[in-house]
Amino acid sequence: MHKSFPRTGSLVVTAAVGLLLSMPVRAHDPIFGLGPHVLYKGGVEIAVETATEKAGDENEQELALELTYGLTGDWAAGVDLPYVRKDDGTQTRSGAGDLALFTKYRFWRRDSLGLQESMAVALKVITDTADTSGAPPLGKGTTDGILGLAYGYESRRQYRWASIRYRVNGTNPAGVERGDKLLVDFVAGIRPNPRGYLEPDTVWLLELNGEYGQKARFNGVDLADTGGSEWFLSPGLFWTLRNFAVKAGVQIPVYSNLNGNQPESDYRAKLTLEWHL
Amino acid sequence: MKTRLLITLLAAWLSQVAFAAGVEYQMRVDGLACPYCAYGIEKKLKAIDGVKKVHVDLDKGLVTVDVKEGTELTEAQMKQLFQDAGFTYRSMTRKAIE
Repeated sequence: MHKSFPRTGSLVVTAAVGLLLSMPVRAHDPIFGLGPHVLYKGGVEIAVETATEKAGDENEQELALELTYGLTGDWAAGVDLPYVRKDDGTQTRSGAGDLALFTKYRFWRRDSLGLQESMAVALKVITDTADTSGAPPLGKGTTDGILGLAYGYESRRQYRWASIRYRVNGTNPAGVERGDKLLVDFVAGIRPNPRGYLEPDTVWLLELNGEYGQKARFNGVDLADTGGSEWFLSPGLFWTLRNFAVKAGVQIPVYSNLNGNQPESDYRAKLTLEWHL
Repeated sequence: MKTRLLITLLAAWLSQVAFAAGVEYQMRVDGLACPYCAYGIEKKLKAIDGVKKVHVDLDKGLVTVDVKEGTELTEAQMKQLFQDAGFTYRSMTRKAIE
């Protein structure tokens, strides 16, 4: 006899996806996608990030503190400490989210005058530290991993990035095996007025973010109302002054093909304040 | 005679002042695309004892460093410093500041 699929499991499958997909260690990287930039050796990055996501009646907000350290000129690692607020349409809860550890290694770099091209691999492990005993659960109840590959072209005037990420999701205590997820990102950026080193600098970004999720499984059976694909068009802004940055962007859904009966994403938004020390 | 001695002493003092002004190093660096990313260069150079001023010209790919007299920056040191900052060091010139 099959166990019934718990309601809380449903929320974990549908929500808690977008906000946790970002991979920090980013410096001058896209807002939602992944870039190859790595913090300098010995550098410390402190980032405070707020993110919000709405899909049907489900709402999720996250406030996260991200700390990154530059291990070498091409390798950085850090920790992501989120505080989340979740609303499943009937109940609301807030508290510490799942702690995540991340690292990025830039394995190729080609520099010329005012131009840098590079590629990097990144890994993020999202631990199972949030409280999942109540409803809605604050975490996923599993330890998940995201592996990413990014390419970046950065010049004085133009930016181009492309990345691919694969998220391996675990099985939660309720027995729901959440489907893995594949993400692709294409990003273009422009600096309308190239500025000097100590002057305020603005870069406008436009991202195309695609997500494809496999169906979740319970007792070896695919769950109908899970998985599918969504594409977002995401305008964003990157404003910096010396060692301080403000990054902001909105993900607007432009295509949705979710399996079964699932709430489609209405929007996602992110604002980050970042310091390099 | 007194005036000549005074001028000689003044000239000697001025030359000491000029001598104490220091040295300017100018480095050609590739990969400098954004101001935010260049902060690591400033931080690393200012951590060197004797560095007084750092200026980054992104358009020309030039990093200018003023140091106190007696402070020496070497090619090997700069190559490593820029590598650690995430950029590529190309060359360096040195001149006394007067």
